[in-house]
Amino acid sequence: MSKIKYFVQQSWLLIVASFCFGLLIAIANAHWSDEIEQNKIDKLNHLTAALLPKARHFIEIDTEIEVESAKGKKVKIKVYRAVSDADECVGWSFNAVGPGFADKIELVIAVDKDFKTIAGFDVLASNESPGTGDKIKEDKFRNQFKDIGAIKLELIKSGKAKDNEILAISGATISSEAVVKIINHYIKEVREAMQSKGLLGNDKEQ
Amino acid sequence: MTKNSDTTAGIYKETLLAGLWRENPVFRLLLGMCPTLAVTAAVKPALTMGLCVIFVLLCSNIVVSLMRNLLKPHLRILMFTLTIATFVTIADLFLKAFALRMSETLGPYVPLIIVNCIIICRAEACASKNGLLVSFIDALGMGVGFTLTLCVLAGVREVLSTGAIWEISILPAGFVPWAAMRMPVGAFITLGLLLGLVNVLSRKKA
Repeated sequence: MSKIKYFVQQSWLLIVASFCFGLLIAIANAHWSDEIEQNKIDKLNHLTAALLPKARHFIEIDTEIEVESAKGKKVKIKVYRAVSDADECVGWSFNAVGPGFADKIELVIAVDKDFKTIAGFDVLASNESPGTGDKIKEDKFRNQFKDIGAIKLELIKSGKAKDNEILAISGATISSEAVVKIINHYIKEVREAMQSKGLLGNDKEQ
Repeated sequence: MTKNSDTTAGIYKETLLAGLWRENPVFRLLLGMCPTLAVTAAVKPALTMGLCVIFVLLCSNIVVSLMRNLLKPHLRILMFTLTIATFVTIADLFLKAFALRMSETLGPYVPLIIVNCIIICRAEACASKNGLLVSFIDALGMGVGFTLTLCVLAGVREVLSTGAIWEISILPAGFVPWAAMRMPVGAFITLGLLLGLVNVLSRKKA
């Protein structure tokens, strides 16, 4: 009993403060969670709409898509079906994550409805080096991924890039390589997962 | 000590001015170096970081001052950290809700305010030993001093790296941007030169 009394005497302020601070954070989170969630959705929609200009709506598919992450773990990802004004599927988009030079890189990747052509990618989050690695966000690098075959891409350090080749950013080979690896890995994984669920090549099932 | 420092108003004035020059957290105490070097590539993120630090400093100093008589000596650092972490989390949520782009620009440096030495130093050196008003004024002085320092550093770096300040071009079109000023090397060089300048000015004053 005396031990409990000693414990309470020593730590009551910590316990009370933890409760009060936890409550404060919970109130702030509850108050702003709608705005935070909306910001995420707006950003994703904005980026994806730029990649698939024919799309008017993005509908999250009900079927669970599970892929192998870069670390080899199975993770569930959200895949969005891009729908045109005429209610036709014009492509797919999904988030992809992998290790970069400084921190993980989070991308949104868009592909055509048959998963045969990459419509492009954009960076959702990254902490690559300013002036070099963060050039993965720039159009000059990103445009190389527009309307190219959804086959295995190769990174080249110099010269003129051919059909399935991507020219690395000068001084940021690791960041460039990371993006190519993420895109190659996720396109293969998502395509296989969607084929196994019967989602590819049959739009009416959605 | 000046003549004014004996009066109550003099103490408040001395406390406020200490953070701005005599005990400036960056130039005189060399505290909070991580954000000083990391987020000063441009003025906007530097100002945002400064405002976040002012908010956290004010809130943590007020709370620590209010509970100073209840603090157990061996639990005080734990209590300080808990208090600081709470307000940093609230600042982080606020940025994510209302300034997503800035939140992304600052990246992990907002959560890292938790381990910013300025805040824990003021909690330990001032708020845990003084009343509410002195703690509040001390937080204000230190916070504003930190923010101004960050803005000066960021101003120099932004002008030299882009030819603009606050994204408004001020240098002639022929100016060749110094890419290095956007990178860590630019932060170290600018900080070193400004520290040298402050030392020279301090010697002249003495």
